[in-house]
Amino acid sequence: MSDKDFEKVDITIRSNTKDIFAFTKLVPNRIKRIKKASNESITDDPINDLAKKLHPKLQYLQIDQIIEETKSTRTYRLVPDAKRGTEQLAYFRAGQYLSLKVEINEEWITRPYSISSSPRESLEGYYEITIKKEEDEGFLTPFIWKSWKVGTKIISSGPEGFLYYEPLRDKKQILGLAGGSGITPFRSLAKSIAAGDIDAKLTLLYGCSDEDDIIFYEELKALEKAHPEKLKVVIVLSCEEITLKGCEAGFITKELIEKYADVANNSVFICGPQIMYDFIKKQLKRFNLPPKQIRREAFGEIKNISEFSGFPNDAVDKTFTIKAHIGGMVKEIPAKSTQSVLVALERARLAPPSKCRSGECGFCRTLLIDGNVYVSPISDWRREADKKFNYIHACSSYPITDLELIIPRTI
Amino acid sequence: MEKQILEEQKIDNQYDVVVIGAGNGGLTAAAKLAKEGAKVLLLEQHNLPGGFATSFVRGRFEFEASLHELADYGPKSDKGGIRKLFEDQFHLDAEFIRIPEAYKLILTDPKYKMNITLPFGLEKYIDAIEKEVPGSRESITKFFELAKEIRAAFRYIASTHGKPDQGVLMKEYTNFLKTAAYSAKEVEDALGIPEDARKILNAYWCYLGLPMSRINFTLFASMVLVYITKGAYIPRYRSHGYTAAFDTKIREYGGDIFYNTKTEKILVKNRQVVGIETSKGDKITTSHIICNASPTLAYNQLIFPKSEVPEFAYKEVNARIQGLTGFCVFLGLDATVEELGLREYSYFIMDDMDTEAVYESWKKLEAPRGQATVVINNAIPDCSPPGTTMMYITTLFHPDAWKEVKPQDYVEVKNKIAEKLIDHFEEATGAPVKDHIEEIEIATPETYARYTGTYKGIIYGYEPESWDSLVPRLMSMGKDQYIIGLRFAGGFGRRAHGYSSSMSDGYTVALLTLQDIKKEVNQIYE
Repeated sequence: MSDKDFEKVDITIRSNTKDIFAFTKLVPNRIKRIKKASNESITDDPINDLAKKLHPKLQYLQIDQIIEETKSTRTYRLVPDAKRGTEQLAYFRAGQYLSLKVEINEEWITRPYSISSSPRESLEGYYEITIKKEEDEGFLTPFIWKSWKVGTKIISSGPEGFLYYEPLRDKKQILGLAGGSGITPFRSLAKSIAAGDIDAKLTLLYGCSDEDDIIFYEELKALEKAHPEKLKVVIVLSCEEITLKGCEAGFITKELIEKYADVANNSVFICGPQIMYDFIKKQLKRFNLPPKQIRREAFGEIKNISEFSGFPNDAVDKTFTIKAHIGGMVKEIPAKSTQSVLVALERARLAPPSKCRSGECGFCRTLLIDGNVYVSPISDWRREADKKFNYIHACSSYPITDLELIIPRTI
Repeated sequence: MEKQILEEQKIDNQYDVVVIGAGNGGLTAAAKLAKEGAKVLLLEQHNLPGGFATSFVRGRFEFEASLHELADYGPKSDKGGIRKLFEDQFHLDAEFIRIPEAYKLILTDPKYKMNITLPFGLEKYIDAIEKEVPGSRESITKFFELAKEIRAAFRYIASTHGKPDQGVLMKEYTNFLKTAAYSAKEVEDALGIPEDARKILNAYWCYLGLPMSRINFTLFASMVLVYITKGAYIPRYRSHGYTAAFDTKIREYGGDIFYNTKTEKILVKNRQVVGIETSKGDKITTSHIICNASPTLAYNQLIFPKSEVPEFAYKEVNARIQGLTGFCVFLGLDATVEELGLREYSYFIMDDMDTEAVYESWKKLEAPRGQATVVINNAIPDCSPPGTTMMYITTLFHPDAWKEVKPQDYVEVKNKIAEKLIDHFEEATGAPVKDHIEEIEIATPETYARYTGTYKGIIYGYEPESWDSLVPRLMSMGKDQYIIGLRFAGGFGRRAHGYSSSMSDGYTVALLTLQDIKKEVNQIYE
């Protein structure tokens, strides 16, 4: 467009003189208006206050009580630590998790734990997380078992995650499929349904390897008894010998699912270890459910990455070097190909940011300047443009060459 | 101790310019400064660039966070300012796609029932209005001729850095002068535009977010002209597609970017910027800051010590009218646009076009009387997996409508409003949206506050009523800098809000800062 591409229109709003005069007064009037305004500083911001209550960057907590659930499972009751600045716990949606920041041997690592207590209980002043000590888990749980006592101080994120009942999306009838410690978000959901805070029904198929391993057995059965119209709990035991009444033997198969649920009219929520998810996926395939009816919790870092097709054979068992830029620091660190980049950064005591550790939340988003990574296809939730511009989620990326990275500092 | 780790990772450098916030204004400013060789540090409190101009992933969908349609981009043959900036200035690696039609306007009140689709292109657009409202052609044509004169005048004023020659204005841009102090309603009255034609012509009002009786005419007319003549565009990979490209470009030019780094203090000594302090304990020396956060935030929270905030700055912030915040329902649907019967990209759905009444409805915590909804697949068919549709319903709120909401009621409150908006959309279009929701996310004023820290979750800048519209803002240039070295860029800047305005503003402010730096260098050698 050239500068003179318009036709002069004949227009007058009040009168020729008044209109021009109004223009000449624009700046003086603006100054006049500003001069007349208050000189007080603004201190209130109710919307940011609400944001901080719902989504605090960090929550400072301490352990108030430890409950032995089974021989290998403990529930930790966490209360706000006002001395360090957390007066009130963030409210959440049943099914969400906390990402705890834990220091072990000067390494800062994070772990996501579903909140096993109900949102209503957070208003009463506590969260509960329930942790199972796995046989093959060599790092964090033994540390927690040994060192977490009543009074231990904990740092947590705000509530995170998406495995919650969404009335605008989900069927009113929920089919919960839980495996092992994957029962934790369902306890929160069951409590909320029982209390009338969530208007939905839950049928829960809960797979355990042993009678001794059933977490919350009495509690879940009591909730079911008190609200038979809303809650149904079925324990599915894979062990040989079963003494408990009313349990199912074996695994959560298609046939078992059909026995307890009219699947087409359910929203299926799944939480359990990777291996259970793989199994359930096959069972559900036969129902041909649309994706909207299947919601699953992220199951953490991939344990068997080298078994994925596409993972380069020659990278297995190799250790590479990462040149890491973080803030003003540059450090060269070792990184095993079969461990995520995130783990390498944590082991090197760089305290990188992360939350879900499953590729989903994106808080560990990192710029790959040089080198190559293998990204697990089942946990690649990156934005399209991030793939294009070489951003990776450190928790779902595995080094297959030496790397150079720019990592944001901790949250 | 984590403190020790942070201590080791501190940045303690000196920079020519620190840009606070990687929103549209901050990114553009940082890119220009870095390109011109200034040593630039861009700090962002979130872990992504873009501010509101970003995207997020849920399940199989990558949602656009806020952009409906980018103005002033234009086709290759008639590049708009933003396209020139992206392609010719920065050679940004970002693809944009033209949206097919201007908009579909649906008025649902039985008294005013209207359902009309408007094309891009001035002639076609005017034809479409004339067809719907016979006899409106002349006055609508005048509206656009006026708009063209106004745009030419803006270009002239910008070229004079806010010091236009009054003689030139009087001679060349008389109508610009004569309308500059009036609202859109006042000028449309004077033009004699028929009431029904105005309903159609005024549909874009919600992108500025104040009623026709208060919105400045020059700004409104200029915006409508740019959309209708240049068309509107959206980025191929949502807004993150181009904001991530900006990030890459800034680094390529030698700029530094740090995410998760919130600026906590702007250090000022004797009314001159001397540095900043961040949430990570960084202390950075600089004498130039471009602040993408609002003056409201900067003067009330960032300047340190507080005694360095001039009284006039507080007054200015208090005199100006805070803009609106948003509410958005993001929907990933498991049906195609054909199955849903949705043909258009952009839907403006209102009970009627009583903009005063709609604006009033934004002050109450209930379902607003108007929405702007976009169906991205009708511009980018493969933006979501085969068999799916991605759309979002947007409306606005006065932030104070949300101030009493308690955390435990938050989800119920937002879901109720979202449901009514979906119902309204279904009634207006007949599309069975609810049956197909695979993913849903609802952004509220709280969400905008959470991710950007903007005051009260506000997404629009100060309201451009005539007294505080572009013209007086541009003409106050040079007299509105209360702290030496501190300039503002973005939606709270001189060109008012909107993506293209924020980026143009960022570019201008970068040029002004470069001039400042040059002057200092010259002083040293003199």
